[in-house]
Amino acid sequence: MHGRIKVRTTAEQAEAKRKEREKKLKIYKETTSRIYEKRNNGEMDKESLSLSEQVLAANPDFSTLWNFRREIFLHMKNENPPDVMQDLCQKELFFLKNCLQVNPKSYSVWHHRQWIMEFMPQPDWKEELQLCNKFLSYDARNFHCWDYRRYTAQKAHVSPDDEFNFSTEKIKENFSNYSSWHYRSKLLPLIHPDQSGDKERVEEGALMKEFDLAQNAFFTDPYDQSAWFYHRWLLGRARPQMEILRLYARYDETLATIIVHFTQPIQAPKEDPVVSFGEQEVTGEWHNSFHNNHPSTVLDILLCGHCVFA
Amino acid sequence: MGSQIKDVKIPPNSPTQLSLVKHADFIAAYGKKKDDYEYCITEFLRMSGVYWGLTSMFLMNKQEMMDKDDVIEFVKSCQHENGGFSASHNHDPHLLYTLSAIQILSLYGCIDLIDVEKTVEYVSKLQQADGSFVGDKWGEIDTRFSFCAFASLKLLGRLDAVDLQKAVQYILSCMNFDGGFGCRPGSESHSGQIYCCLGALAIADSLHYVNADMLGWWLCERQLPSGGLNGRPEKLPDVCYSWWVLASLRIIGKLHWIDKDKLRSYILACQDEETGGFADRPGDMVDPFHTLFGLAG
Repeated sequence: MHGRIKVRTTAEQAEAKRKEREKKLKIYKETTSRIYEKRNNGEMDKESLSLSEQVLAANPDFSTLWNFRREIFLHMKNENPPDVMQDLCQKELFFLKNCLQVNPKSYSVWHHRQWIMEFMPQPDWKEELQLCNKFLSYDARNFHCWDYRRYTAQKAHVSPDDEFNFSTEKIKENFSNYSSWHYRSKLLPLIHPDQSGDKERVEEGALMKEFDLAQNAFFTDPYDQSAWFYHRWLLGRARPQMEILRLYARYDETLATIIVHFTQPIQAPKEDPVVSFGEQEVTGEWHNSFHNNHPSTVLDILLCGHCVFA
Repeated sequence: MGSQIKDVKIPPNSPTQLSLVKHADFIAAYGKKKDDYEYCITEFLRMSGVYWGLTSMFLMNKQEMMDKDDVIEFVKSCQHENGGFSASHNHDPHLLYTLSAIQILSLYGCIDLIDVEKTVEYVSKLQQADGSFVGDKWGEIDTRFSFCAFASLKLLGRLDAVDLQKAVQYILSCMNFDGGFGCRPGSESHSGQIYCCLGALAIADSLHYVNADMLGWWLCERQLPSGGLNGRPEKLPDVCYSWWVLASLRIIGKLHWIDKDKLRSYILACQDEETGGFADRPGDMVDPFHTLFGLAG
């Protein structure tokens, strides 16, 4: 339970509340037992839909009941023409919208909505996009809705450019929209790829525009974190190439070690290293400091000292 | 004009001492309210609820206050033909509750009471071609499920049953511009999700892929002036992030980037001294979920 404030009540209020709950509980228990019974009997009918709807309207995270509804939809598909199924699915979408009004952060509800859209004969993905816009206007940070929107935009063939404009619009409404800044970080490299061909890099002109936008944001509200994180990302996008930073050799009569420091973690190669000492070639062994196969930025080459200085 | 920082004020008369006895009583009493409306409508997550309660008891060294035989009997009775566990009777098996069931039996050290091979088979069959995991046969994909699968198989000693390389690659495809992780590729970073992904990567010996400095910065910025931690930027604090964020920082070795004293006073202020238990924020209703993560923090 999140964000439920504890309220103090009088004994009388508490008693009234207790009675009300007792009544609610009785109905709840009767309805759920009836549903279990019907499911065990394989009764995939309209009554099952209606009973589970009653429970889910109050308790949308009851995922088993969504499973039962999907079983009913799959069953009904075999017995009904597409127009009937289309109609049933429309009704389900309407019901799901009501569930989302009650709890816009239910994993089960968003997942069932996606399932119905994939299942129905003629899904209207453009209209789904409108639904997402509506729920993002209630809460611009609802990550369930953002995720569903990304899925929907793909299904509705919305271009990354249009999505980028949507993100700009959201940020201009309110700079403090971390979700929308995040989305830009995914879209920017797609829309403005760098000439170098590195998928992570962004073309210079587009980068400068983004710097302006981020600066505007933190001039407006320096205490909001969103634009600062984005700014840090714009700045620090260079990745080190895999290179050897340092080499260090030490030896005594029994053991010679070459310590290699790389710019990125690397797993000890399976092939043994061959080290040349003038004319002589000596085969060694790769190890990290822990003698296991975890990748590391520091690897040792162990050589037998006698072999080297024989 | 600058907006107000989203945070709460800790009321002056908030608790400052840990009331362990009350918390143990709260958990013990919660499991006995079988005819309570709140209790009944949360049946869909009962297995996890039992795990939260039991782990809280173990943390307080009060595990004898829960009936071990009853708990084990309940867990066993929730295993299905396909090897998966459901939250309760009449519910369908799901990876979330399969992990909770395995965790409960592991706490008691009696994992051999169930059909381990079947459980391993259930979990490994949920892996998809791209390395991701679905939560059950209905196809919801989420990095939470990657963690559930890894943790389950690690506890069962059968990590070899899935394609770890692919699973790691999928998790890495969910990494974001801030170094964090989301539910699926393209999803925004979230502290709970970050915990799951770091946990999975740690189990798979793959933490070297994480940019610990960048992610550590994002995670320690979750601390607000009240001392509490939030789950995402510009959100209110919540006691459960004392676990998700702290455990994440611990995994990447940056625990010292947080002001521990302030966090401690925030967590203590979330206790209800009358009923026992922790709430998400000072003055809110308590529940077993926040009680576990308050105690764990």
